[in-house]
Amino acid sequence: MNWPDLSMGGYGFYVWGSYIASLIFFVWEVVSLRQRKRALAQQQQQQSSKPVSTPVLRGSINETTS
Amino acid sequence: MFYPLAGKLIPWFAIPAALLFATGLFVGFFIAPTDFQQGDAYRIIFIHVPAAWMGMFLYVLMAIYAGIGWAFNARLSSMMASSLAITGAMFTAISLITGAFWGKPTWGTWWVWDARMTSTLILLFLYIGFISLQAAIDDARRADRAGAVLALVGVINVPIIYFSVQWWNTLHQGATIRLLQKPTIRGSMLAALLIMLAACWLYSVAVVLIRLRCIILEREQNASRFAEVGV
Amino acid sequence: MLRWIVWRDLMLAWRRRADMLSTVFFFVIVVSLFPLGIGPETQLLRTIAPGVVWVAALLASMLSLGRLFANDYQDGTLEQLLLTPQPLFLVVLGKTFAHWIVAELPLVLIAPLVGVQFDLSRETLWILFLSLLVGTPVLSLIGSVGAALTLGLRGGGVLISLLVLPLYIPALIFGAGAVEASVMGTSPSAHLSLLGAFAIVSLLFSPWATAAALRISLE
Repeated sequence: MNWPDLSMGGYGFYVWGSYIASLIFFVWEVVSLRQRKRALAQQQQQQSSKPVSTPVLRGSINETTS
Repeated sequence: MFYPLAGKLIPWFAIPAALLFATGLFVGFFIAPTDFQQGDAYRIIFIHVPAAWMGMFLYVLMAIYAGIGWAFNARLSSMMASSLAITGAMFTAISLITGAFWGKPTWGTWWVWDARMTSTLILLFLYIGFISLQAAIDDARRADRAGAVLALVGVINVPIIYFSVQWWNTLHQGATIRLLQKPTIRGSMLAALLIMLAACWLYSVAVVLIRLRCIILEREQNASRFAEVGV
Repeated sequence: MLRWIVWRDLMLAWRRRADMLSTVFFFVIVVSLFPLGIGPETQLLRTIAPGVVWVAALLASMLSLGRLFANDYQDGTLEQLLLTPQPLFLVVLGKTFAHWIVAELPLVLIAPLVGVQFDLSRETLWILFLSLLVGTPVLSLIGSVGAALTLGLRGGGVLISLLVLPLYIPALIFGAGAVEASVMGTSPSAHLSLLGAFAIVSLLFSPWATAAALRISLE
């Protein structure tokens, strides 16, 4: 095992650049999924706490009824 | 139902994925030697190549799931296809960007129109088409099936596209060297590549399952919302 | 039945022949923009001509694809056609053929004229005409899949383009490649054969895909 040359023989910007760019994508994907889950959980809560007799018109439903 | 099962499976993929990424990078940076021709710049391939392969595999997988969902009216299968699309597109994008980062130090320009990069770019367009089509259709069933048609047409066209791009490239290249040539592969490099590929697979399974659960929930919520209103 | 569909679509298109003309005008204008944007140097123009003319033809066609099914969809004729005992893919074939005659054939005929702006030789102009003659049906065929999938959706021509243009790239490569070969003095026959093969493959597969897509969109 040999310690890698951190500057990558002068190509550091490109090597680390690629990995950082990739990392950004991975992080973005996971984070946006988390947000999606959180939004769903919130809606789930709102729906279950609402009495059934008062339907809530939201989002796309407005378009379909107009 | 599938939902809780998927939930249990996710950590079984996510954690090994993280471990394998760490291992792969370790092997790639600490064990694999410096390349004779390309110096240390070649180490980009440890993310570039697996990402490119994942982009291609996931597209085919997406088409298969979409096709099955359409043929057998299996909604879960179609939802799987929709979930795969975004991850596949993401890997394709990573492959393009890392390819650019690799091309600049080795061949002098950020973008090269060689057969592989160009085909990858077109693959990204195919993903974008699929995702846009599904995004534009409100009705889930129509979106599933329309996506299936598009994905199947795409998957059949992919070999033709690849061939035509190769053709185009050889015509216009003349006597120049083959671009983005891989360095002579040593054992440790191959090991790192395969480990990273496995890591990407595990990551994909985890992420796709998470997204699939979201899609399942979203559709259930939409259904119940419509039920409330009496549609 | 096939002949009736083609005839009917042609009659309808004739009544709206302004649409047909606007596609041609768009094509001519777009092609003329390139020398204006790049410069009039003839050697350069001769080099870019194949790609420019082909891409302009693609873009002009994209605009017209929306019309392929939209009008019949809006007045309910399309649903009627789905209910006839005739196989749907024949209906699709007929409409696609009519679309080609109305939207693409004018481009093919005008292309040599437009190619003169790029100082192309007579031999090359002939290859240009030929390549578009073989390539534009492919565009109508593959485009019909996109038009059927996006029936009734917002997003219009842009969405169709996103779906269809990547699928169309092989035709672009072979078609423009043929013209380019001619410009450079080499034989375009390999390109034209490949283009022809691609055309045959699309003819065999697209009508089915379009028919399936129509059923999906109309449910």
